[in-house]
Amino acid sequence: MQMTGDETAPQKALVEFREIGKTYPNGTVALRNVSFQVIEGDILAVCGENGAGKSTLMKILAGIEQPTQGTIHYEGRQRRIADPNVAGDMGIGMVHQHFSLIRSLSVAENLALGQEPRRGLLIDRRAAADRVRELAQKFSLDVDPNTKVGSLSVAAQQKVEILKALSRNTRLLILDEPSAVLTPQETQELFVQLRSLRARGVTIIFISHKLHEVRALANRITVIRSGEVVEDGVLSEMSDAAISKLVMGVDVTRASRNQRDLSAATPVVVVKKATLATGDADRRINAIDLTIRAGEILGIAGVDGSGQEGVVDLLCGNVQPDEGDIALLGKPMALATTLDWRRAGMAHLPGDRFQIGGAPHMSLVDNVMAGSHRDKQFTRGPFLRVGAMVARTNELIKTFNVRCLGPREPLNSLSGGNAQKLVAAREFSSNPKFLIVNQPTRGIDVAAAAMIHGELLRLSQNGTAILLVTSDLDELLQLSDRVAVIFDGRIAIVLENDGLTPERLGPFMLGLEKAS
Amino acid sequence: MIRAAFASTAITAGFCLFVLLVVLVPVALLYPEPGEVLSRFLLGPFEKTRYMGNIVELATPSMLTALAVVLMFRCGAFNLGVEGSFFLGGLTTAAMVLWMPLPPLVGIPLALLAGAIVGSLVCGIPGIVKATTGASELVSSLMLNYAAVFIGLFVLNYYLRDPTAAMLSSGRFPAEYRFESLIPRTRIHIGSIVAVAACIIGAIYLNRTSQGLEVRISGTGNDFSRHLGLNSVALNIRIQVIGGMIAAFAGGIEMLGLYSRFTWQNTTGNGWTGVIVAIIARDNPILIIPAALFIGYLQVGGDLVSRAFGVPTEIVSLIQALVMICVTSVAIFQHPALRKFVQGDRGGAAQ
Repeated sequence: MQMTGDETAPQKALVEFREIGKTYPNGTVALRNVSFQVIEGDILAVCGENGAGKSTLMKILAGIEQPTQGTIHYEGRQRRIADPNVAGDMGIGMVHQHFSLIRSLSVAENLALGQEPRRGLLIDRRAAADRVRELAQKFSLDVDPNTKVGSLSVAAQQKVEILKALSRNTRLLILDEPSAVLTPQETQELFVQLRSLRARGVTIIFISHKLHEVRALANRITVIRSGEVVEDGVLSEMSDAAISKLVMGVDVTRASRNQRDLSAATPVVVVKKATLATGDADRRINAIDLTIRAGEILGIAGVDGSGQEGVVDLLCGNVQPDEGDIALLGKPMALATTLDWRRAGMAHLPGDRFQIGGAPHMSLVDNVMAGSHRDKQFTRGPFLRVGAMVARTNELIKTFNVRCLGPREPLNSLSGGNAQKLVAAREFSSNPKFLIVNQPTRGIDVAAAAMIHGELLRLSQNGTAILLVTSDLDELLQLSDRVAVIFDGRIAIVLENDGLTPERLGPFMLGLEKAS
Repeated sequence: MIRAAFASTAITAGFCLFVLLVVLVPVALLYPEPGEVLSRFLLGPFEKTRYMGNIVELATPSMLTALAVVLMFRCGAFNLGVEGSFFLGGLTTAAMVLWMPLPPLVGIPLALLAGAIVGSLVCGIPGIVKATTGASELVSSLMLNYAAVFIGLFVLNYYLRDPTAAMLSSGRFPAEYRFESLIPRTRIHIGSIVAVAACIIGAIYLNRTSQGLEVRISGTGNDFSRHLGLNSVALNIRIQVIGGMIAAFAGGIEMLGLYSRFTWQNTTGNGWTGVIVAIIARDNPILIIPAALFIGYLQVGGDLVSRAFGVPTEIVSLIQALVMICVTSVAIFQHPALRKFVQGDRGGAAQ
């Protein structure tokens, strides 16, 4: 037994994973023989590619999934974490990448869900609000208990999520890619809050694949690759290069952009004073001017829900502008449908590969060939030339390095990254004149992302005008020739990307600065 | 994927047998000779050529109505107008045969075509209403079925009725218009061959044509078809009109194959049976053929024990209902252990 109060005592493990394994019923091995300790009072970064198994491991710790092998020891005792409630009782709270808050309820109501203070048969709203104030004060996370969650900014919603995770005497807080939805400034603020939580004795595990954030926050790091722990140690003893190599397994060369002078290039897409005044509030846009030139990648930066989706809807023909003009290569497109846009040379890699970009239950052949299923090459009269279609699919599977069992498998048997590569293969292979890519690498692994980035740069070199919408600022700055910052449905500023930094974009994304 | 399709077919067949026994055995035990009841139900339908003929006769209209349902369901239209289409198709075909004295070689196809066109309205109108106003095609097609029957009865009563007949029926069809029996001692007619061929053509259409691919994409119900720029609204209407035509055509075939006068006073139930068959066939046109035969077999078996022992024919509906529950229980089909058992072990999914 350790004596308490002994400053030099060896550190105590709060959680110990012992030979954890997880095999899904379909045979996918997510985790294999994972053993390591989480030291009490640490901030531990769990790093790895998407699909490496880090989220699965955290879900096991939070009681959302069950391991198929191995045991978890918590405070020295073996525990079975049957469900999230048990995890809550044990003092484990998790903040998910996708928030689990109910937008139409207030902050206090969201926090009280499942543990409502009662007065007789009714919920004691005042007690609920008091509880939130108390928690907020205790952890110095500033939120108003009576605001509706839907009206809060993403960063504030995340604070509420964190408070919710902390609301049950939490000693271990798990955060799954907390910075993915935040601007650089908001991320800085989050880190300050996390450090102060640590000072109050909360142990923190955070999942990230951004190395500079790991450096800024964590003191220990565990790297998971293909379901196995490949490194577990003190962060200060490791170099960036070493970690990066551990995460990826191989050195991935990042595609890089050549600085080019595009001022003389032909404008491909010209948007003039386009307005979308109806529909979802976060898709509305207001008198937007944009020009995308041949061979140019124009990045759109903005906090999620600032109108990016409206711009995408408008330029792929999903909706027609209420006011304003759009032209594609001089052709008026303000009234064009998606089919008109596609015939004029538009291609679109959408943000949701399983809802919009493909049909999950249909085969890879059907998914790849959809859209070119009327081409002469693949038809004989009304009939499809299935042989030619399968051959074409196999060819694209090979060029885009899609890992699958065969062209007849359904799309949903593929991992996210491979499904994205498949959808990209369909859209990129049509030699588009204008390409829209929306969150092209969200939730996919580094190698797949590098491949898609490479393809985007290759297309732009061949003269395709590309509109890139992404919430990953690193990606945006790595690929874009110019960056348009969107705030509240308006273009705040358009900047040439000659050494732009996230910090330069931040104030525009938050609406603090405007182009004069 | 083929193996998976085979697995789900095998599971379906297994459940059909299981449900059959779960319902039949306790019912049979209520009678003095339970063994007799069981064997009469299960084996009786195969004892005589005539009974086997009955199975095929019963399966013929439901194969076509099921095909209509499958096409519409696969396109994402939950249209239940097949019942009304079937009724109006039969009525129009009967009226054409009685009113248009043409040589049968021209008259029969013309009568069937007219039936298909008129009957298609019951499925087509809800499709158009859905496209223009957004009203659910499920509700409007269900309601339109009743309208179709009453319009049909009006026409029968005031224009087609044979005043010399003892009951409400049309005049007698000329003998040369009626389909001949293909197999002695049965009433199996050319319509059965047409139905099987239609199912095969339906499978080719869905899986091997450009439009079939568009139908399947539209039917996934997500934004994929919009993303591709397909006009799924027009396609949806077109498929519902085609579905209505197939169901109405089935009504015409049934009329000329099995009847000598138009005598329907209400919907025939062939449309509903088609929905059941479509569900059991899991929306696969080829599987419609065995599924329709299975339902026909149940009906003949139920009929036999009803006549011989007085067992209520409702047990057939009970079996059908349970089979449907089992087949639609996606939970069962997605049960990993059960799947693994039938499919054999296959590790290493794409990762």
